Amino acid sequence: MSRKGIRLLAILAAMSLIVAIPAATAQAKKKIITISGSTSVYPLEIKLASKWIKTKKGKKFGFKILQGGSNVGISDVSKGRVSIGASSRDPANGDPGGLVFTRIARDAICMITNNSNNLGNITQDTIKKIFLGPTFTDWSQVPSSPISGGIDPVGRAATSGTHDAFRNIFLGGSNQGSFVAAKSSNGLVQQTVQSDPRGIGYVSLAFTSGVNVVSYNGVACTLRNAASFQYGGVRSFYFVTRGAPVGGVKKFLGWVTHSNKANKIIGTDWIPLH
Amino acid sequence: MRSRFGLQKAGPRNRSDQRAELLLGALACVVLALIAGMIIFVFEKAWPSFSNNGLDWFWPWAGGNVDDELVHIFESPSDPSQFVYTMHAWPLIYATLLITATAVVVSTVFAVLSAMFIVEFAPEGIRRLLEPVVRLLAAVPSVIYGLIGILVVVKFFSDHLITQSARDSVAGVAALNGFSWGVGALILTVMITPIMIAIVVDALRAVPVGWREGSVSLGVNRWRAMLTVSVRAARPAIVAAAVLATARALGEAIMLSMVTGSVGFQPNPIDGFIFFVEPARPLAATIVDNAEGLSVVPFAQTLYAFAAVLLVSAAFLSFGGWYIRRRLRTYTLSPI
Repeated sequence: MSRKGIRLLAILAAMSLIVAIPAATAQAKKKIITISGSTSVYPLEIKLASKWIKTKKGKKFGFKILQGGSNVGISDVSKGRVSIGASSRDPANGDPGGLVFTRIARDAICMITNNSNNLGNITQDTIKKIFLGPTFTDWSQVPSSPISGGIDPVGRAATSGTHDAFRNIFLGGSNQGSFVAAKSSNGLVQQTVQSDPRGIGYVSLAFTSGVNVVSYNGVACTLRNAASFQYGGVRSFYFVTRGAPVGGVKKFLGWVTHSNKANKIIGTDWIPLH
Repeated sequence: MRSRFGLQKAGPRNRSDQRAELLLGALACVVLALIAGMIIFVFEKAWPSFSNNGLDWFWPWAGGNVDDELVHIFESPSDPSQFVYTMHAWPLIYATLLITATAVVVSTVFAVLSAMFIVEFAPEGIRRLLEPVVRLLAAVPSVIYGLIGILVVVKFFSDHLITQSARDSVAGVAALNGFSWGVGALILTVMITPIMIAIVVDALRAVPVGWREGSVSLGVNRWRAMLTVSVRAARPAIVAAAVLATARALGEAIMLSMVTGSVGFQPNPIDGFIFFVEPARPLAATIVDNAEGLSVVPFAQTLYAFAAVLLVSAAFLSFGGWYIRRRLRTYTLSPI
C-alpha cells in the first residue's frame, strides 16, 4: 500500500476512535430506556423522564424518546424495538398479544369552536348529528348557537389515538363521516378552528389556547371537572410494555404511577390517577 | 481507443486511473442496485392492494368514498384471511394530477418569462440581486411554505375570497374554509418556479451570442430575438426543467398535507369559482397523514400502493421528458 493510503487509513482510524470513545463510556455509565409512540403523550413523558433522571434511582438511566403515534408505539414495543410504547388509546382487539398496558394518567378531550362563535354547550346528540350524519349542516340547527351558516367539522385521521378516543367516547363507537377534515395532529385541528369562524373540532386539553372551549353535556372542559369525573370526555394515557415491566422500566413505571413528584407533574396539564 | 473527452488514452493503463474506474463503477452499481431494490420492495409490499382491487384501484367511476375505505382497511381484523383491501383511489390520483398540472403549467410560463428578463432585459444591479434570491428560494424547505400557507394564504382565502353564500351552497358536502387544492397549487407554483428559473436561465445563457446577434442584425427587436431564437434553442432545457419541477410537485407531501384540506374530496370544475377553493388530498399527503397506521398490515400495503403509483409516475416522467427532448433536438442546442 502506498504511503498516502496508509496515512489516510491512520486518519480514518483516529477519527473513528474519537467518535467511538465517548459513545462507549456513555453507554457504560447509563442504561438507555427508549420510548416511542403517541404525540399526545409526548409532552407528558418528556416532563416525567427529565424529572426522573434527577432522582436517586433514575440517575443511572438515560432516555431516548421518539414520537410517531399510538399505533407506532404499540407496534414498536411488540417487536422489541423500544422498551416502552406510549399510547393514548385503549387496548384494541387487533393489538399483538403479550402486551401490558399500564395506565399512567388521564386526559380530557375538549370540543372547540372559533373564538367568534362562543357556543356555550354541546350535547352528545348534537355532536353525533354533526360528525356522523351529517344531519346538522348549518349552525342555525345547533341548539343555542350564536351564529348561522354551514358547519365545518374538523377531526383527526383514522390512525390517531385521539380519533379513536373521540369515536368511543363522543360518537358511541361509530366512525366520523368522511366529510370531516382528517388532520394529522392536534395542533393542525386547533389552527384550523382558530382561523375558521364556522369550524368545530376536538383536541386534547393541552391544545385549547386561542379557541372557544365548549362544555360537553353541560360540564365545562377543565382539568378540575375531568379529575372529578364530572366531565364525560376523558381518556387514558398508557405506557405499554412487552410482558410485565422489568429492570429500569419497572423502576420508572413504579415512580410514574406511585410517587408524589410524578403526580404533581401530571397534575399540571393532565389528570393524575390518584 | 478514445475516451469521452476525445483524449488518447495513455499507452500502458495508469494504475490509479484503473482503481478510480473500478471504485466509481462500483459506486454507480450500488446506486442502481439501491434503486432496483427500492422498486422491488415497494411493489412487493403494494401488490395485495392492487391485486385485490384490479382496475377499480384507478378507475374514476369505481364509486365509494376513499376516506371510508381507508378507515375500513385500518380496522381490518388481525386474521390475514379477513383483511379488507377495497380501495378506489381515483379521488387521490385526481387531486395529485390537478394540483401538479396546474402548478407546473403556471410556473413554466412564469419561469420562462422571468428567465428571459434575467438574461436579456434586467439591468445589471437587479440581475445581480435577482439571481441569488431565486437560488435561495429554490432551497427553502417545504414545511416553511406549509406554515406560511396555513397562517397567511389559507386565512386570506377564507376571509376575503370565499363568500358566505358560496360556503352555504356546499354546507355538509365540503368545508370551504380556505384549505383547498387551489391554495396548494398556488404555493406549489411558488415552490417550483425558482428551480425552473435557475435551469432556464443557465440554458438561455448557453445559447451562443452570435445566434441572437444574427437575428438582431436582421432587424428583429430584442424581444422577438429572445423568443424566436434563444427560447426556441433552449426548448430541451425548458422541458428538462418542467420534468424536474413536476417530479418535485408530485412528491410534495408536507406542504400539501398542511393546506389542501385533508379530505378525499373530488373538486368539480363545473362549480365555477368554488372549484378552486374546494378541498382535496393528493397521494403523497395521504401517505404522510396516515403513516401512523403502518403497523396494520393491509393499511401499510395500501400506503405502499400509493407510493408505487408515485414511483411509476416519476419513472414515466423522466422517460417522457427524455423522449420529448430527443424530438426537439433539431434546431436546438444539444440536450442539456
